[in-house]
Parts: sequence; C-alpha cells; structure tokens
Amino acid sequence: MTGREPAWRVLAFEVRASLHEERGTGDRAATHLLSPLGARMNRVLMAGDLSAGEALGQADQQPFYRAKLTDGTGEVTVTAGGFQPRALAGLRSWTVAGPALVVGKAHLFKGRDGTAYPSVRAEAIRGIAPEEVRRVQAEAVAQTGERVRLVQALRAHRDPRALEPAPVPAWIAAAEAAIARYPSLDPATLAAPLASVGAPVPRPAASAPTPVSALPAVRVTRAPPRATVGPPSAAERAVEASFLDIVDELAEDSSDGYADLRQALERAAAHGLPETHAEELLNRLEEAGVLEEPIVGKLRRA
Amino acid sequence: MTEPTDAPTGLQEVRLNALRVGADPVIIIGRVVSAERREITRRTDGGKRPVLSGLLSDGTATVRFTWWDPPAEPIERGTVLRAGPVVATEYAGRVEVAFSWKTRVEPASESELPTVRTADLPAMTVGQLKARDDGFRLDGRVVRVRRKTVTVGTDEREIHEGVIADRTGAIAFTAWTDLGLRDGAAIRLSGAYVRAFRDRPQLVLDERSRIEPLDGAELPTAEAVLLGPERRLGELEAAGGAELATVAGVVVAVLPPSGLVYRCPQCRRSVTNGLCRVHGAVTGTPDLRSRVVVDDGTGSAALQLDRGTTETLWGRTLDVVLARLREVPDPSVQEEELFEHLFGVRLRATGRATVSEFGLTLYPETVTAEQAGAVPARAQAGPA
Repeated sequence: MTGREPAWRVLAFEVRASLHEERGTGDRAATHLLSPLGARMNRVLMAGDLSAGEALGQADQQPFYRAKLTDGTGEVTVTAGGFQPRALAGLRSWTVAGPALVVGKAHLFKGRDGTAYPSVRAEAIRGIAPEEVRRVQAEAVAQTGERVRLVQALRAHRDPRALEPAPVPAWIAAAEAAIARYPSLDPATLAAPLASVGAPVPRPAASAPTPVSALPAVRVTRAPPRATVGPPSAAERAVEASFLDIVDELAEDSSDGYADLRQALERAAAHGLPETHAEELLNRLEEAGVLEEPIVGKLRRA
Repeated sequence: MTEPTDAPTGLQEVRLNALRVGADPVIIIGRVVSAERREITRRTDGGKRPVLSGLLSDGTATVRFTWWDPPAEPIERGTVLRAGPVVATEYAGRVEVAFSWKTRVEPASESELPTVRTADLPAMTVGQLKARDDGFRLDGRVVRVRRKTVTVGTDEREIHEGVIADRTGAIAFTAWTDLGLRDGAAIRLSGAYVRAFRDRPQLVLDERSRIEPLDGAELPTAEAVLLGPERRLGELEAAGGAELATVAGVVVAVLPPSGLVYRCPQCRRSVTNGLCRVHGAVTGTPDLRSRVVVDDGTGSAALQLDRGTTETLWGRTLDVVLARLREVPDPSVQEEELFEHLFGVRLRATGRATVSEFGLTLYPETVTAEQAGAVPARAQAGPA
C-alpha cells in the first residue's frame, strides 16, 4: 500500500473488538489497529449518533475533548486534542448530540494489565442528515460482511478470489494477519451485531458454529481479568487518561518529580471529577500498576 | 575471434523476434525507430568513445541497439540497416544487440524488410500491454479520437490522440499520421508500440501502423467504456491505475495547495514566493484549483480539480474568493472553508487514474456531486 491510508468503513463493535496493534517501522511508519474481521485500520470513517463534546484536559493549556459515537452495534470513544485542531474545534462546538460523520485515526491504549482500549482520534467531524448516517452504516455493513466472508473463506482454505465481489488485494493480506492474530475467534459469531443495523448476517462457513442471536460479549482482556467488577467503560478510560495527564503535568512542574496528591485531586475536581470518584480512580490506577504512591501524598507513574 | 569479413557468409539472417540470447551470431535487418548519439568516457584512461544507441524495428519486434564508434555522418530515423554478425544479449529482461568493430553495418532497402502479415503477429489485449511492447496486434474499440497540433522542435505537427479499449481495459494512443480513426470504430491494429507516458502505458501509432476494420461485436461500446462500471479504489490502485476509470467515494480531505493559487503568466506553473520554477520572478495570476481526497473504504484517490470544477463544487467563483481574501487576508482560512464545504460529500468521477508513491491520483474529465444527504442537516450550532 502506497500513499494515503484508506478510511475503513467499520462499525463500533468491530473497533471495540480490536486488540492488536501493528507498529510500522522506518520513516513515517503507520500504526494499524488490526480487527478480528480483517480490518487493518489506520484511518476509519464512521457515522452515528455523536454525544456532545466533553472537555477533559485543562481547557487553556492542553485542550482535550471527548464524545461517544453510537451506531447500533455499540459505542466508540471519539477524542480530539491539540494535535487535531480541526476535530478539536469541531468537538468543542458540538454541544448537542446528533447524527454525525467522523473520520479519524484508530487508536489503541494498552493499560499495564494488558487491557486494550480502542478509540478514534478524530481528524474531522461534521453533522449530517440521518439518511446519510444510514448510508454510511449500510456501506460499513456491506464491507464488514465482505471481510467476514473473506476471513471465512481463508479459514476454510477456499480461494478468496472466487468471492463476489472480488476482495481488494490489500484485504486478503489483512484477513490473513487477522486469522494469525485472532486464531480462536469465529468471525460469524463476532459479526452478529451486524444484524442490529439491519444487515443480513453473513452465512457461516459449514464448519462454523451457528451464530448466537444475542450480542456477544466482546472481551478486551488479554491478561487475566482484574478482580474488580469488570473492564472500565470508555467513559472511565477517558477520565483515567485525563487524570494521568494531570499527574504528569504536576510531576513535570514539581521539583522532586512527584505529583502532589492533594493538588491532583483539586485539579481533577476543577474538571468536574468529584473527590470520591477520583479516589476510586486512583485506587484502580494503582492496582493496575499505572500509578504508584511511594511517599504518602506523592504520586508518580509506575 | 573472427576477423571482420566483407561479406559475412555462413551467417543466418533472422528476424528481430527470432533473436535468442546465447545463440550463434546472426545478421539482422531493421529500421531505425530512434537513435541518440552520446560519448562514453572510458574509465581506464578517460578517453572518449562515441556511441549511437536507439531502437531498431523490423515489424516483428523492436530491440535496443548500441553502435560503438558509429560513422560520423548522422543516422536518420527511418533508415533501414543490415548488420552482422551480431550476438543478442539481455538487459533488464529485454533482448539487445551491440554493433562493434567486428560488425558490418550497411544501409539496406525498404523492400528487404520482412513483410509482416497482421495475422502472424501475436494477439494482445489492452490489459496485457506494457511499456516497450511491440510486434503485436490488438483488437479494440476507438473510444474517442481528437486532433491536436503539437510543436516538435521547430515543426508544427498534427497528431490524433484518443483512447482504445477492449474488455480488459483502455489505453491512450497517439497517432503521428492520420490513420482515419473514428469515434466508436472497431479496429484491428498492428505496427504500434507501447511507451510509458506519465505513469501509464500509451500506444504510439505512426506511418508503419496498420488499421483494419472489424465487426467488433464482442468489443465494448464506446459509451460503455466512457461511463464504465464503478471501480473500487483499492482494486484500482493495485491494478496500477487505468486510462479511464469511474470511481465514487466520500470526501475525507483536501490536500494543500487547494483553493487560491497563483500561476506563472507565461507557463501556468504554480508560483511560490513570487518565483516560477522556469521563468523566475513573475507576478502570478490568481487561479483556483483543488486536490480533493475521496475514499470508498477500500482505498483513496486524490482528485485533481481545475478552476471550473472547483468553482462548481465549492459554489464560490474566483472573484468571490479574491473578494473574501481582501476581507480575511489569510488564504488558509478559505482552504479550510473549502474542506468544510466538501467534507462528507459523495463524489463520482471519471478520468485517468495513475499510481505513484503518493498513491492513486485521478485526473477527472467529469465530476458529479451527489446532493442527497450531502448538505448538513443540522439547524443547531454544529460545525458548519
């Protein structure tokens, strides 16, 4: 693949099920988020209902906005920071939830415990008519279905070129990589959410088990699951990220390299994070091995 | 080592398509298609050695020749030469010949060239053609042909440019003589060769080319080629582009420089910092252009849009852009406004598609925007 990265048409469930990141090498190497259904995403184009933009970073110095895009198969966190000025301006003025088109970079944050948090770093967003949302989603359903059939064909050792329509050459390599990375995932089961946006579920391969009708639980855990209630939601993850930003900044400004706990909590409160919630968050981050408190009242990255 | 003989005897005269690497020395006959004289500097003593190199064709094939120490008088294009003994060598997968002091090279008569019957040539399809191919026949439909006057050196020459297609694809052609090609005609073509032109193969027809009419029932119609089935961008890029392709996608980016540009008044090249690449310091004349990236999920292509298309898609004329520039003197503001206007719009374009290190580029002949759903439907304060 030369030139510009294509904007993959994907639905939220597929982004959320993607746990593997391929890091390129050399100059201007692109990073790709590999989905179990064979999407090798650097850039994605998605449409759905976008919640109002929410400020997370320090409004003046490090602006960071976040919103949630919901498309009927789940929701994906959409973020924009200072490196995405166009999308940042877009999210800042996105004050009421509504149908939107988002193009952005697939991003994967991996916690210390190996939990992966996929999200989309928006490059641009725009409000669109509901019909256009359906059209983009229909496109995503069609292309996802095509990729599912491609993965199934490759798994069954059938010639992918016999498929109709013929798969795009780059998709075959991506599907092979997906099979190698997600050897035990059944594409048809995983693709069941396609039905909830009104698409026919691709027929499973003869050997594949019947797809379950309910939404599958998409586990994003690679390491043993944590003891607490379950993986944090996308909202919690974003709060974590902004809390860590606060800690980093305080640590950088302080003479001893530690972030003062009280100051951190105060700043978090100023950003609308109540202290009780912040304590909870702090415990979780310490438990996850992201932060540590080697001296009482002093925080640093573990 | 054999001494040069006045009349190389015992040597077989072969056609160029019968030249084999590693075979015994032979005699060849062919017409000079192109020739260029250079001097090679010897690495050992720095001495100069003249060499004439170019292409030799006998209608069955075209081979590159290198003639060491050629005669001082110029060798004209079109001269027919007989040369022997020559041994075929191979370079970059192509057969070549070299004439050295051992080789006797003499003018020959036109009539000594082999008569090549079109039916004897191997049939090729458009999809199989690649640069430097020749000695083939091609059945195709003339999708269109236009007359054009070009300047070659000091001469003005009339050429005929167009596109020929079969079921495997379409290829541009340039005819240096009037072969009587007409739009929509089905033809069997021989005596043409293929060159690379702006990242794409192109057919070159000249006085040696022959055209026979065909019934052409199995060939696509000119309309079918022009309207074309929609190609997927990922597939089109992997295929190396196409002479005529129809693509459709959503606008995801506008590449700089788009919007207002300044061009050299003499050559229309874009002017940066008041400097033209060729004419130096000039006062640029304003123009509109845009490079719009469309994406269909399988790949993306940069559409190169001229002033007219940009004005139509943007709904803003050059005059309006210039007037707004007086209000808001930062030209990047309007580039952003162009992006905001086009982002998310579905475009359909037909044109020539090339592939380079920057990916797929399309030079559209037609662009249409789909209006349905393209206009933002939010009444509230959203990104406009």
